[in-house]
Amino acid sequence: MGMASANSGGSEGMELCIFDLRRGQQEGQELDKILFFFPADLPFSTQLSVIGLSEGLITFTRIFSPEAACEVIEAERHSHVFYEAEPDIWMVMVVEKSKEAEAIWRVEALREVLKEIHSLFMMFYGPVREMLEKDPSGGQIRSHLYPFVMDYLSDFLVGKKIQLPSFRDCLKECGTVQMLTVGREAAIEVQSLVRVLESGAGATHCYSLILFQDLLVSTTLSPDDTINLFAYAVQRLSPRALSSGVSSWSYLRRGSTPSHVVVGPTFATVSVSDQFHQLHATSPSQDNSYHVKRPLQHNRWSKGKDGFLVTDIWGTETGSLIPSTPTIWLQQTGERMYLCAYQYKSLTLILLVPLSSILNGEQGVSLVKQQVLENASLKILKVEEKLSKGWGGENAYHVSGYRYLLIDDDRNVSRASPPAKVTTLAKESLLAMSKLREEVDLEKSRSKWDNADRDKDLEICIRAKNNAWVIARTNRGKELYMVLERANETLLYASDAFERFSDRVPLLASSGAVALGGQLIHVIILTEIKVVIVGHRLLGVRFLLR
Amino acid sequence: MSSSDSNSSSVDDHNPNPKPLDYQFETLNLEQGSGSTIIQNDVDEEGRQQDQGSSLNGSLNVNSNNHEQDDGIGLVRGVVLRRTNSEVEVDVNGPSSPSSSGYAGERGSSGVSEDDEIEEVANDSALHEVFDSQAAWLPGKRHVDEDDASISWRKRKKHFFILSHSGKPIYSRYGDEHKLAGFSATLQAIISFVENGGDRVKLVRAGKHQVVFLVKGPIYLVCISCTEQPYESLRGELELIYGQMILILTKSVNRCFEKNPKFDMTPLLGGTDVVFSSLIHSFSWNPATFLHAYTCLPLAYGTRQAAGAILHDVADSGVLFAILMCKHKVVSLVGAQKASLHPDDMLLLSNFIMSSESFRTSESFSPICLPRYNPMAFLYAYVRYLDVDTYLMLLTTSSDAFYHLKDCRIRIEMVLLKSNVLSEVQRSMLDGGMHVEDLPADPLSRPRSASPHFGEHQEPTDSPRRFREPFAGIGGPAGLWHFIYRSIYLEQYISSEFSAPINSPQQQKRLYRAYQKLYTSMHDKGNGAHKTQFRRDENYVLLCWVTPDFELYATFDPLADKGLAIKTCNRVCQWVKDVENEIFLLGASPFSW
Repeated sequence: MGMASANSGGSEGMELCIFDLRRGQQEGQELDKILFFFPADLPFSTQLSVIGLSEGLITFTRIFSPEAACEVIEAERHSHVFYEAEPDIWMVMVVEKSKEAEAIWRVEALREVLKEIHSLFMMFYGPVREMLEKDPSGGQIRSHLYPFVMDYLSDFLVGKKIQLPSFRDCLKECGTVQMLTVGREAAIEVQSLVRVLESGAGATHCYSLILFQDLLVSTTLSPDDTINLFAYAVQRLSPRALSSGVSSWSYLRRGSTPSHVVVGPTFATVSVSDQFHQLHATSPSQDNSYHVKRPLQHNRWSKGKDGFLVTDIWGTETGSLIPSTPTIWLQQTGERMYLCAYQYKSLTLILLVPLSSILNGEQGVSLVKQQVLENASLKILKVEEKLSKGWGGENAYHVSGYRYLLIDDDRNVSRASPPAKVTTLAKESLLAMSKLREEVDLEKSRSKWDNADRDKDLEICIRAKNNAWVIARTNRGKELYMVLERANETLLYASDAFERFSDRVPLLASSGAVALGGQLIHVIILTEIKVVIVGHRLLGVRFLLR
Repeated sequence: MSSSDSNSSSVDDHNPNPKPLDYQFETLNLEQGSGSTIIQNDVDEEGRQQDQGSSLNGSLNVNSNNHEQDDGIGLVRGVVLRRTNSEVEVDVNGPSSPSSSGYAGERGSSGVSEDDEIEEVANDSALHEVFDSQAAWLPGKRHVDEDDASISWRKRKKHFFILSHSGKPIYSRYGDEHKLAGFSATLQAIISFVENGGDRVKLVRAGKHQVVFLVKGPIYLVCISCTEQPYESLRGELELIYGQMILILTKSVNRCFEKNPKFDMTPLLGGTDVVFSSLIHSFSWNPATFLHAYTCLPLAYGTRQAAGAILHDVADSGVLFAILMCKHKVVSLVGAQKASLHPDDMLLLSNFIMSSESFRTSESFSPICLPRYNPMAFLYAYVRYLDVDTYLMLLTTSSDAFYHLKDCRIRIEMVLLKSNVLSEVQRSMLDGGMHVEDLPADPLSRPRSASPHFGEHQEPTDSPRRFREPFAGIGGPAGLWHFIYRSIYLEQYISSEFSAPINSPQQQKRLYRAYQKLYTSMHDKGNGAHKTQFRRDENYVLLCWVTPDFELYATFDPLADKGLAIKTCNRVCQWVKDVENEIFLLGASPFSW
């Protein structure tokens, strides 16, 4: 505790709380609302005042806007970002603004962080509300949330401080999937591998996810489940995550050496490392009676002899030394699945097998694994080889002269300039882009509320003070953001350049790939960023026409 | 110094090796730069002058403050009393000049206040119905029977509240202030809760709603809106509402709160609902509210000079400002030595006068405060309408100058009549200003057949202005629908007349809101203004161009070609330059005195 209080000044930078409006209704019991609070060493009175303000404004805004309560409070020195994760379960993040410390935030980017925390939590433990219903004392949910969110936040630690996505990350999009561009032949190979994988397990309703490096190759999961599992795989399972040991969070994901170095000057951040250390020793208010698994803990996954990834996070089978196979919940179907991950060189395969289909527990799982090895080994080799050959490396998706971000909101796919290239942009350009994205975010949220023009078609080209062109284009759920810094460009030149780029990447018109209704759909993006779709089970063609 | 400044900035700003289109931008910019040398010098001088002016005034104020304030509030209430029976105000000019200026949102024409509608009604689908069913905008407060428990009240698109730091309601756009005491206390609680945490709340966003807070000492202002306007615009509107309050009471009202934190301010503002409601209405039709510039009634150079000359004569005899206006447009304006008038002050002053019926019917002498000029002290305004729309304001610091100012007015009125200024003013009101249809053709291409009646280098006073029967515009070349040109040094703007398809007040308001977004997007406080912006959505193509000399905002058909639109903007700038003698008050601007 001594350590924690010595560091209480650190709370200036960021606060994060999760609370349940249905609890603590009686006066004097307000503390019961709080399910999670960071920093945990903040006096209760301060914690309560954060939650009191949040609750007050949620109630207040519902007077005028019953359909959508408070989303953000902007004060002079802080932004309070709200996210209603489940009915009456709120997450609020309070960040300090500071121009000098480059603490300039885009609210939506911060909200994405809250969303990701919640959906990952759901993936491992199911809904917060369910856990509260099981244990109304709140002890269980608190003992789960605390280590989970702290483990999650530790990925944002740079040195001793938490570094949240700021304006410098304006050409990245959390909560989306990044895809590998695959040639036609390789795609056919991948497709047949998927078939072998899912049928080889013998069970009904298996799902699979294949990654090459940190990029998605194929999935048969629903879009939401794909995003969650992809995020987890990139953070903890990919070859880079396994080898580096250092945090390789999505924001730093593809930035190998250069961008790790560039991480930026002193961000307005929190000196919280003490709290993280503290977590390892004794987590406050946590007793071990709940057997909390910590799936986000670092360095707990390793590659076994058979190529399957193993972890002791889920404990061991009673009476044996074999680690238990991890399980996750699927959001779409509510099913609980075994998670089997296999790695060969840069290729990571994740097979999800329903718990319900395997009667004899770990034994059954190892049988499935064995079958996979028998049936698919050769195919895996072949696919890895094909993909490696076609892989353009770190800068494969760099388009020279452009710094861009493409988002397909419908399919939650994004592609962006390599982070190392984005860091070459001037601060002014990044600020202008961040601001522009905020404008587009607002337009998007407005059109969400007037369902009428859901498909907002918007094009904005700005020549910023530093002469950079900052461009945004949205069209039917696709978004393209671009910064052109070359001097001497006229509006017409800039928009030509933009059109040229759009022609080559028709606003992701047909890129991206996540399965619909559990059906496999491959979308193949050729190296020229010409988009071609091949492969499907049933829906492919319809997908293309959509 | 200034000329080298503008030269270097054009080089910086623009491509040294430009493509032909941008080359046009550049030459224009250079001309602007060199042409404005003198004005720039004046600006420098003006800056100093302003300082002197305000300090002078401040000291004057300190001596007599106490007395003036009490006196002043008493006087205000006098005026107020006369104003209260203005509910059924009808603009005499309204029906007689349907095409008067194209600002259909103007008082008396069929101004529509969409915000007044409950939000569902204002949906696009219902747009026509709404338009048809709208009666003329009526000043004053409506829906007094509502309070925060009424569903209809909660669904109003845009609320404005003024309250005191102890949570006492001072003004609410809708509903009875007294019934809103509880709601007011909630707003106060939010503000002070955040303040206790060492911060200051600016904005709360929830779905389509924004709650914007502005704290001015003991006065709190709040706007709750779902109008899609950016935060900065809403905040600017709150600033103007505060300014309007200061114009009526001066900032010395703060001292009442120092003496008694629970001071009830409502009686001081009794009867001024019309002033606030008319200001709030102007947010949806008057671009001056977000451009922070004023606009002039287009007049032949000689005519405006004649008006300026006589105003100048009286300004030498103890008048601080002499302003001749027609509706919200300036005919001429003269400031005494070292005094300058901020465009926002002009907006608030003219709103105050136009919204108060009593000013129309008799000559008045009323204490007013110009918040940008000196928020602590009252000035005295002698106001007299010379015809239905045209009114003369003579401002002075002396509370007993009524008879002197009356004499001045009689002299001015005689000269204006003799020199036909007043009839020219009326004619200009009928003719309207710049029509996009009249944009002179590109010199390189074949000239358009319809010769521009406006903007040729004309013979003074009787330039041939074709009289227009109800003007039905068809839009300008390249899909140009509308433009606003703001001259930075003059602090003036010119807005083209509305033409098809932006006909209804509804559409005009939507366009102004789009301009507000564009304005906000271009003027990023943190990082300095952007230079150009092209924005296309389902409604418009908007082009904005900001230079050190001027800002241009232009609206095109959403299908407009980018290249042609740029060319057209160049032509608009050239056109404005060609006719600047007529559309702007040159030389007579506050700066040059």
